[in-house]
Amino acid sequence: MANIRKKKTIIKWVTFTVAIIIVAIELFPIFIIMSNGFKRDLDIRNSNPFSFKPTLYSYKKVFQKSDFLPSIKNSLIVGISSTAISLLVGSMASYGISRFRFKGRKVLSYSFLVSRMIPQIALAVPLFMVFDSLSMTDSYISLILAHTSFNIPYVIWLLLPFFSSISISFEEAARVDGCNRKQIFWKIFLPLTAPGLVVAAVFAFIMSWNEYIYALVLTGNTTKTAPISVNGFMGQYAPKWGQLAAAGTIILIPVIIFTLTLQKYIIGGLTAGGVKE
Amino acid sequence: MRNRSETLRRDSRKGVPSYLYFVLPAIILVGIILLFPIIYSMVISFFNWPQVDSGNRFFMWGKNYLDLINDHEFWHSLFLQLGFIFIAIPIELVIGFLVALLFNREFPISGVLRTLLLLPVFTLPVLSGLTWRLMLQPGYGAITYLLSLVGFDFPQGILSDKNLAYSAVIVQDIWRMWPFMFVILYAGLVGLPKDIMEAAELDGAGFFRKTFTITIPMLRPTITTAILLRIIDALRIFSEVFVMTNGGPGGNGTMLYSLYIHKQAFEFGKLGYASSMAVILIVVSVLFAFSLVRKNMDIDTM
Repeated sequence: MANIRKKKTIIKWVTFTVAIIIVAIELFPIFIIMSNGFKRDLDIRNSNPFSFKPTLYSYKKVFQKSDFLPSIKNSLIVGISSTAISLLVGSMASYGISRFRFKGRKVLSYSFLVSRMIPQIALAVPLFMVFDSLSMTDSYISLILAHTSFNIPYVIWLLLPFFSSISISFEEAARVDGCNRKQIFWKIFLPLTAPGLVVAAVFAFIMSWNEYIYALVLTGNTTKTAPISVNGFMGQYAPKWGQLAAAGTIILIPVIIFTLTLQKYIIGGLTAGGVKE
Repeated sequence: MRNRSETLRRDSRKGVPSYLYFVLPAIILVGIILLFPIIYSMVISFFNWPQVDSGNRFFMWGKNYLDLINDHEFWHSLFLQLGFIFIAIPIELVIGFLVALLFNREFPISGVLRTLLLLPVFTLPVLSGLTWRLMLQPGYGAITYLLSLVGFDFPQGILSDKNLAYSAVIVQDIWRMWPFMFVILYAGLVGLPKDIMEAAELDGAGFFRKTFTITIPMLRPTITTAILLRIIDALRIFSEVFVMTNGGPGGNGTMLYSLYIHKQAFEFGKLGYASSMAVILIVVSVLFAFSLVRKNMDIDTM
């Protein structure tokens, strides 16, 4: 008996050690980007990659550089606006799909889901042509709309399980009290699904924050987002690796917070809604 | 259930706000920003449509598509993009599955470690591509340095050799996405009925036997879903390779289909030609997406 228990303990610690090693290897590139942010551009090019004398030089440069902070601001404007629109429109649609039985309901909800899976580069070409002919490239509104197009389907599918989990009796009670559908949605459903709305909002924001293709094609100097300006540190001839790493670390912060706090919901989010059990 | 839908139907007959009030805004917005561009690019794909020389735009039937068939670069780029499906995804599946088996045991702080593994999945693709580019720099890149310690020297740099560069973008994808396979498979594993496992153990089934005769067959639906999701994802790969190699070295070493579309459209300004490539990509990805959605997702079981 004692032997079996001892064997179990050993297996447990061996598993633990292997897991730690896997995580360490997996996080190595993230460690690289974070540590290089504390080096000077020149030092990175001229010394052993594992020598480390931390300095805030690159961070100072990044904040002094004219276009990084504005690009963060642009990312926030686009992210928050597209999240707000997607959340509003998406939660309404999600409610409609989960609480009404209408003709074409399935086709509609599946079409939303499929639309999100179309490669953005394929959509970027016509979107660019449309916005270009309207002289709307390098404007917030075009990028916000583009991000909204992939976030609405996302919000709809993320919210479906939250909406479905709410008992129909709430609505029946409200109906008895004389509420109509609109009031039920705004006054009862939204407050009840607040946690789901928060999850959907954070997911939508991160999707927008990470987005690169539409930003590459649709923005110009005044509206370029953070991922574009981080790539800008590559420069024409010599890459400024230290500043790139510092800026990269900064734009990674929301992603890290998101992953660590919302891990419970991440599987649902990764599969963009429900995977049949 | 029937009662519920009857009340709902009765409700809409009364003329109070119908479902349209709720779904129409989404339909209109997505229709304008998604459906319209798709139709637009289908139309443009039958035109000669240079971006600058607007006098030279004319309808030319399916010439763009015929040109694609004869375009060596088109096939090459298609081949490279599909490489992700046939090379990266199986490797991600195997690593993800093995690590899921490992995490299915009990050990300290496994929850924290599991969460940490998800970081690469949500790391900005651009940042991932740039980080790998840095690590692979000749001389001062961390990976190049580590490889030189064990006797693999690449004085020209890994990203300046066609085959090595393509392997590097694949490895980058594996690094970023095997944890994706892992979380989905892990969720599937945890959901498997424990009693069947225990019964198998009592019958004396060893680890491998148990894995191959019970675990994998029972996980089949989860595995299919994970693979389909990754295939759809692999067709979308663009940003990380765009910043990591910009399609090079040698002009087309890592020129994926998506990068070739970008090049035709925004470097050569051949918007009609690029549109025909975009249309093909849209059709293929919609086919995959529908097979995923039809088989694996159901709005009513959630």
